[in-house]
Amino acid sequence: MRMRWIVGLGALTVALAACSGGGSVNVGGTSSAGGTSGGASGSGSTLSVAISGEPDQLDPQKTSDYNSFEVLENVFDTLVEPNASLQMEPALATSWTTSPNQLTWTFTLRNTTWQDGTPFTSADVVYSYDRIIDQKLPNAYRFAEVKSVTADGAHKVVINLKQPTPDLLNAIGGFMGVAIVEKKNVESGQIGQHPVGTGPYQVVSWDHGLSITLAANPHYWGGAPKIKTIKYTFVSNPTVALQDLEGGEVQWTDNLPPQQVQSLQKSASGFTVKSVPSTDYWYMTLNEARKPYNDVRVRQAIAYAINPGAIVQAATFGNAVANETAIPKTSQWYYDYSPYTPDLSKAKSLLAAAGVKNLTMNMMVTNEYPQTVTAAQVIASELQPLGITVKIQTLDFATWLSQEENGDFDSFILGWLGNLDPSDYYYAQQITGGSFNFQKFNNPTVDQLLNQAQTTTAFAARKSLYDQAAKIIVDQASYIYLYNPDVIQAYSSDLHGYTVRPDRAVRFNDAWLS
Amino acid sequence: MLWIVGRRVAQLVIVLLGVTLVVFTLIHLVPGDPVRTALGIRFNPAIYAALRQRAGLDKPLVVQYFSYLGHAVTGDLGVSFQTGQPVTQILFQRLPATLSLAITGMIIGVVIALPLGVLAAVRHDTWVDSGARVISQLGVSVPDFFIGTLLILAFTGTAGSLPPSGYVSLTANPLEWGRHVLLPALAVGLVAASILTRFIRTAVLDELGRDYVRTAAAKGIPARIVLRRHVMRNAFVPVLTVVGIQLASLLGGVIVVEVLFAWPGLGLLTYQAVEQRDYPVLQGTVLLIAAIFIVVNLLVDLLYAVVDPRISLR
Repeated sequence: MRMRWIVGLGALTVALAACSGGGSVNVGGTSSAGGTSGGASGSGSTLSVAISGEPDQLDPQKTSDYNSFEVLENVFDTLVEPNASLQMEPALATSWTTSPNQLTWTFTLRNTTWQDGTPFTSADVVYSYDRIIDQKLPNAYRFAEVKSVTADGAHKVVINLKQPTPDLLNAIGGFMGVAIVEKKNVESGQIGQHPVGTGPYQVVSWDHGLSITLAANPHYWGGAPKIKTIKYTFVSNPTVALQDLEGGEVQWTDNLPPQQVQSLQKSASGFTVKSVPSTDYWYMTLNEARKPYNDVRVRQAIAYAINPGAIVQAATFGNAVANETAIPKTSQWYYDYSPYTPDLSKAKSLLAAAGVKNLTMNMMVTNEYPQTVTAAQVIASELQPLGITVKIQTLDFATWLSQEENGDFDSFILGWLGNLDPSDYYYAQQITGGSFNFQKFNNPTVDQLLNQAQTTTAFAARKSLYDQAAKIIVDQASYIYLYNPDVIQAYSSDLHGYTVRPDRAVRFNDAWLS
Repeated sequence: MLWIVGRRVAQLVIVLLGVTLVVFTLIHLVPGDPVRTALGIRFNPAIYAALRQRAGLDKPLVVQYFSYLGHAVTGDLGVSFQTGQPVTQILFQRLPATLSLAITGMIIGVVIALPLGVLAAVRHDTWVDSGARVISQLGVSVPDFFIGTLLILAFTGTAGSLPPSGYVSLTANPLEWGRHVLLPALAVGLVAASILTRFIRTAVLDELGRDYVRTAAAKGIPARIVLRRHVMRNAFVPVLTVVGIQLASLLGGVIVVEVLFAWPGLGLLTYQAVEQRDYPVLQGTVLLIAAIFIVVNLLVDLLYAVVDPRISLR
């Protein structure tokens, strides 16, 4: 016994997980996707999942790591949540009303409990939102228009706004980063490692470096999930993750070698590879605080020389849709506008008009997102005929972010992921002084349009405002939009009732294993 | 004996002090900032400043260094920026995985290299020798992660029944531990074997050319016995040094192999700490790796006396 303690907590949790029948990766090594391995201890109800990295922490309000959210989507809830077609639906709030002046929203809460048995009340909602706002947590910007959050009895919450905010439901429900958390769990300092939520699964163990195990919450308000245990393992190498899936060590992964996706979609046996258009967009941008990129003609010249279709092929192996605006074709907010048909002579004359020749441009990309490296190589070769020499700087993400923040770049390529409302696509990136406006774009008309859209409620009027803003942003080449990628996930034929969602939320509460 | 251990411990302290200084300086020379990284793409200057202050990163570097040293002396290596766990606790969680991988890998290496190296030396300049040399040259040149990828493609997925990733602790389930450790241990073991084979061959060949071998042969002692009783014993001292260095570097965590096989040891931890700029964890791992290196080398020195009675430790 003593030995085990010396070996440490890691060994102990593995031992516990194995005892509770959670070790579905183990035993047998049969290749029939886990269903038969592990014997009679009900491992048919254990789902093993390979994600690309270890979550940094499990406090949904503090993390910004997608690997964390892949776990937390199943642990926490928001007041309202997007369904698989991204329409807002009741979650912890069952219904809501809006005052005639649009400034007061009243939410009626569901009668449910936390995973530790404590009743869920309006105080939890008030605490959660106040925490995000007061501590300036990463999603505080979503509450910019919120004046106050108050409880009206135990089961009603009132949100008072500074001005009408048509996308309030998106702000408080569109992202698990605004999940409702339990005060006790936060104040005990436990939430980062042992979170307590209201969602379909609870975290039972976290074996650092190796796996996180979730158990079904029998009291979940949406009904007890059919899969009893989910084990997340962290596999950074996509070839290894694919081998895990093929050998039946895991039944789900989103970490696939991109170059193999299309052939796997045709020929995979025992599992399915699904791709769904996402709400992400990838773009290139130029530093307008630097010469000559402050000249719109230079930016346009570069936009005319770039062929997003070629980038889609090279960087995503065809698993994306080229788009010269931000919002994907599948959205009701899509704005069909593509002025930059590749045109080298136009690009050359724009550059000549700006008086620029033999330009050397640094382009910052990161191996955290390998597609940016490939895209940069394509862009470099496309800009060569213009007399622009692109020097590609491939940085690790930490360095990349710090250079972005310091404005220490000529140009870079990156993406914005998991956008729902049009304000997610444009506001903070394009408004003057916006918190994500690293390219220092400054256009009073765009500012006015985006601000007006923030408070406009009617769909048609709002869409028209965003369309006008998008047109200017594209014309001014503040961002040179490249493509909307697909969400690609692969899962065993034994996993049923699972939906690949455009917003990359990974939810297993309705799924079951055969 | 005691004296040499005492002197080595004093050396250990000085070296570790040097390591902290070098690591601390290097970490801060590399661009990138843990708070910025933790915030990811969604960045807000006000939040950033608040978090930096909370982590003590706004203080001058000299102050940060001495405050770190002060705590380190008492065994407190700080807490991880990412998880908030104490660094010492994290290190002890990761150590068993690395220990079991390194030792298994080393055993595989020695088991392959010993017969191969001796055989190559005894039959030197024959096809056996050339074969062994070509194979070991190949093993030294091909990186371990490439060998690892080949092993994964050959033995996992639809091709075989071994798991390509993951870890089960030895105490929890020895059988499962064995299934999981085999491929990563082979990946590091084959590389270690290649290096060892060359050293063993050279060491044995060296001894075979000595006068005492000729004398023994002249006295009519069978070659097999000369080899086992005299040559191998004498050749063992230099080989032991190499085995020690190899083992020490494996114990420091085989970063790329651990990342490839999702093996939760010190190597994977170091990799994650660098990616996330988790300074306390990174400093902790480097300190531990340095300490392991020094301790293993000390043990090897002590073993010399056991292997070769002519060496006295004073």
